[in-house]
Amino acid sequence: MTLYEKIMALYPSLTQKDFLTVIELRNDSDGKGDYIAKWEHPTLARPTAEQLA
Amino acid sequence: MASTISAGTTSGTAIAISGDTSGNLAFQTQAGANTITVPNATGTVMVSGNMPAFSYYLSSTQSITTSTTTKILFDTKTFDTNNNFSSNRFTPTVAGYYQINMNVIGSSSSYSSIQIYQIYKNGNPYVRSDWRYQSAIIDTGSGNMSAIIYFNGSTDYVEGYAYIVGTSPTISSSLTTQFSGCLVRAS
Repeated sequence: MTLYEKIMALYPSLTQKDFLTVIELRNDSDGKGDYIAKWEHPTLARPTAEQLA
Repeated sequence: MASTISAGTTSGTAIAISGDTSGNLAFQTQAGANTITVPNATGTVMVSGNMPAFSYYLSSTQSITTSTTTKILFDTKTFDTNNNFSSNRFTPTVAGYYQINMNVIGSSSSYSSIQIYQIYKNGNPYVRSDWRYQSAIIDTGSGNMSAIIYFNGSTDYVEGYAYIVGTSPTISSSLTTQFSGCLVRAS
C-alpha cells in the first residue's frame, strides 16, 4: 500500500484539492520512498508513524 | 604589469591581447560610439569553455505514485560541458543567470485528471506547468516550461518534479522528457 493509499484509508474525506493545497506527498527518487513534505490541513491531524506503519 | 599586444611572426599565427594582472581586458570605444562588433565581418567569436551548459533525459519509463510529487530521473547525458549535473540535479559552479528548460510527458493506465510538472530551485517550486483534464478518455498529458534562473555558483541547484493523478502513473522517456540549460549572463 502506498503512502497516499494509507492516508486515504485514514482520512477518506480528503480530496485531490487537499493534496494540491494543504498536503504534499513527495518522493525524491533517492530510494527512501514517499514521505509527507507538508501537512497543513486545518482540521485533520498529521498521521503518526504508527498510523502509517 | 601593463597590458600587452603581441602578434605572431608567421602567417596564421594569432594576435594575442593580454590584460593586466587583474585578469580583466577592456575594449574601449571612441567617445560617442559605444558599439563594438566582434568580429567586424564574418566569422565566429569563441566564448570561454567555462560557461556551463547541460542536457539530460530520462532513459526509460519512470513509474511514480499517484498524487505524490516525485523527482524525475534525468539519468542520461546528452552533454554536460562543465560537469555540473549529478544525481538528477544541476548545480552550476559559475554564478549567473541561466536559461533552464524542461519538457515532460506523463501517462496513466486509466485517465489522468491532473498532471503538474515543476522545476524546483533549492528544494522549492520555481516554475510550474499545470495540466488538468476532465475526461474519462485522456490518459496522457505534458508539461513544457522555461525560465531564466539565477544561481550563486556554489549552493543553488535545480531539479525536476512530476505530480500525476491517475492509476499507475508513469513518466515517458527519451525525447519526451528532457532537462537542459545554459548560462546566458554571468553575474
